[in-house]
Amino acid sequence: MLRFIGLRLLQSIPVMLVIITGTFFMQRFVPGGPFTAERAVTPEVQRNLAAYYHLDDPLWKQYTDYLWDLCPKAFHPSALENGPDLKAAFGIDFRPSFKYPNRTVNEIIADKLPVSIELGAYSLAFALVFGVSLGVFAAVRRNSWIDYICSSAAMTGICVPTFVMGPLLVLAFAIHLHVFNASGWYGPIDRVLPCLTLGSVYAAYIARLTRGGLLEILSQDFIRTARAKGASEARVIFRHALRGGLLPVVSFLGPATAGILTGSFVIETIFQIPGLGREFVNSAFNRDYTLVLGTVILYAALIVIMNLVVDIIQVCLNPKLKFE
Amino acid sequence: MPSLAKFRFCLLRLAGLALALALTLPHPLRAQPTPPSEKTLRISQRNEPTDLDPARASLPDDFFIIRALSEGLVIPNPTNGAPLPAAAESWETSPDGLTWTFHLRANSAWSNGDPVTAADFVESLHRVLTPATAAPKVELLYAIRNARAFAVGKLADFSSVGLRAPDSRTLVVTLEHPTPDFLRYAASGPWIPVNPRVVSTLGRAWTRPGNFVGNGPFTLLSWEPGQRIVVRRNRLYHGAASVRLDTIQFIRLDDSDTEERTYRTGGIDLTMSVPFSKLDTYARDFPDQYHQAPLAETRYLAFNTRRPPLNDPRVRRALSLAVDRGKIVAFVVKGGRRAAYSVIPPGFAGGSDSAAPPIPASHDAAVFFARRLLAEAGFPAGAGFPHLELSGWTNTPVLEAIQAMWKRDLGIDVDVATREAAVHVAALRSGAYDIGFITLIPDVADPFSLLDHFVTGGPENYPAWSDATYDALVAAGEASADSARRTEAVRRAERLIAERCPLAPLYFNAQNWLMRTSVHGWRQDGLWTRYYTDLWVSDAPR
Repeated sequence: MLRFIGLRLLQSIPVMLVIITGTFFMQRFVPGGPFTAERAVTPEVQRNLAAYYHLDDPLWKQYTDYLWDLCPKAFHPSALENGPDLKAAFGIDFRPSFKYPNRTVNEIIADKLPVSIELGAYSLAFALVFGVSLGVFAAVRRNSWIDYICSSAAMTGICVPTFVMGPLLVLAFAIHLHVFNASGWYGPIDRVLPCLTLGSVYAAYIARLTRGGLLEILSQDFIRTARAKGASEARVIFRHALRGGLLPVVSFLGPATAGILTGSFVIETIFQIPGLGREFVNSAFNRDYTLVLGTVILYAALIVIMNLVVDIIQVCLNPKLKFE
Repeated sequence: MPSLAKFRFCLLRLAGLALALALTLPHPLRAQPTPPSEKTLRISQRNEPTDLDPARASLPDDFFIIRALSEGLVIPNPTNGAPLPAAAESWETSPDGLTWTFHLRANSAWSNGDPVTAADFVESLHRVLTPATAAPKVELLYAIRNARAFAVGKLADFSSVGLRAPDSRTLVVTLEHPTPDFLRYAASGPWIPVNPRVVSTLGRAWTRPGNFVGNGPFTLLSWEPGQRIVVRRNRLYHGAASVRLDTIQFIRLDDSDTEERTYRTGGIDLTMSVPFSKLDTYARDFPDQYHQAPLAETRYLAFNTRRPPLNDPRVRRALSLAVDRGKIVAFVVKGGRRAAYSVIPPGFAGGSDSAAPPIPASHDAAVFFARRLLAEAGFPAGAGFPHLELSGWTNTPVLEAIQAMWKRDLGIDVDVATREAAVHVAALRSGAYDIGFITLIPDVADPFSLLDHFVTGGPENYPAWSDATYDALVAAGEASADSARRTEAVRRAERLIAERCPLAPLYFNAQNWLMRTSVHGWRQDGLWTRYYTDLWVSDAPR
């Protein structure tokens, strides 16, 4: 297993390099720059700004300088206790932001990533608990009214986009019932609506996947054997069927985690959450070169790691698979 | 089977319990971001400030907060008249209009206790002019003698720049040429001073909470990026008696819908805008909370004069005439926006409306004239007119309305393209467009700061228009110290634009916002300046 993990991490190095190179050059070829504001700045100011940010260096030099700054040059994982500061921990320097000149990209990430992770973790937990339960009910009572209700709820969850669901929940629970705040990220109570909104779409997918997976397993021979041996229905479902029935859900979790992290932009905007998703999207609009790169690299690394974790879990759950 | 039913029942009961719990939560747990207090004002802040350094900031949103923390020699007048005293209590001009002497207040201090001296102002302005600072709005200092030469690096010796501090309370500014509107420039953002000792010690980190030192009515208490900025009253401010709020919270809200929902649930006292779809509802049902004020922003169509047939002034004028601005402001943009037939908004810089060029008696008359012009240019009833593109950056239906008007009244087809803002502006700047929708936003209330854009090679001369008469008019008006001659130059320049039509003004923008009736003394001007003194919150409605 260690060999498998080591090999996969080695494979991810060229992947990351391609992503960094692609992002670096693509954004330079997009029209407009970090200082293309609606109000024009004079050519001499443009020159001063370019010199300040080394944008007047040849592009290849900017690229190699940036790569060098990215290379890990230290190893103090203990520094991570004070927050995800990659510069203090590993010497990875994402440089100052173009848009927010008094902050570095490292600081912005250290500030905002925990918020996005918190939002994503709660949402994913909600999606898993709710989605799997819904899927199990539907599969067990196949073609009954329970199944129809669960399946239509799941279908609705998939079809209603978060930017509709979010404001609807706010309208009901914040504006009319005064239970929650309409926006903000101050107290524990402010976590509820955003996580419900973000989690519901994934809950719906998970419910459908669980139902499908479980139905397939329930029709197999070993289930009949278990029942013939007198195992209770609950034991059959939870002990024997669910393990295999959840496999599609586990493979879905990799992309789902990526989606929840990067897709939190809409939720963060609707509920005004100071997370990284908003910075990620806005940095592209602002042409904040360093912030774009910093967030892309971070998300790419997260996705690579999540996919690895999912693969490991799959091998543990599915006896037919082996680490290769 | 029975165990499953039991499990299901359990789950249902649990869900019910959770819902009941959520609904009956004790109040402290569902508290607002902060309990609304009599002395706290919560304002929606739509854009994260890039920086709170007056030298590096460029957006009005940055200055919403900077102006609470620091103040320059003078501040813009909310009623659009001459600027008002701020850090300077008085000033005088030499007879030739070239030398301005400002007298600073005896009791003014930085928030760390240092006295505010004239030397601090000289050093602050020196910093703005230094090329390495890369100040985006450095041109607002170019009225000072030799300032431009120093800023572009042609002059290395700062002592020949027209700034002197003969003593700690006197600042003498020498100008390049007499500038009647100089005070308006002195009231602009880059003129706001910084404490040079703090800046040199802390470098870029000086604008962080705990480090920030200003001379304004408030001091920086906290800055949670993406969430809120809190400022607290500054007891050392020279006008501390006029500061009635304890704190102001600038709460970050990304879009007008979130903002409106937060306002409705009591999370903020003041919004920056009103969602377009709710303008009529608020105007009808909550007239005491719904506010509207004109902005000195001109939205216009730039015609790319490099491309045929837009290089023909008759074609441009026909296109401009066929836009029914009355319909656009009545049905498409609403919210108190006014139809624009000139570049300079009415009442700008305290001026009268007489500068505006004459407008057609009716839209039908305008269309009649437009058709004739188009026929003269070789496109009778739009026949043979090439397919042009009308591009913009917002998704307002203004462009579609114009597209329909041109089709109906002139018989010509254009495509509408909406692009991301930076892409659109970059296209306008490089000339890769046909007709572009864009905004003209002045930094100071000086008509020439707007007209200057359209001289040959001007900074925002997107139409790439070049007209020797216009250039001469603007240059002569700008250099003149006589206000009547300046007004006349503005009037003739506006006429020339209306005749030659390098651009078609569409409407003057306006701000619409919601404000609780408990907020008293709110003042702002058409250039997004806000005033935080004599402002308070109380239960008694206005």
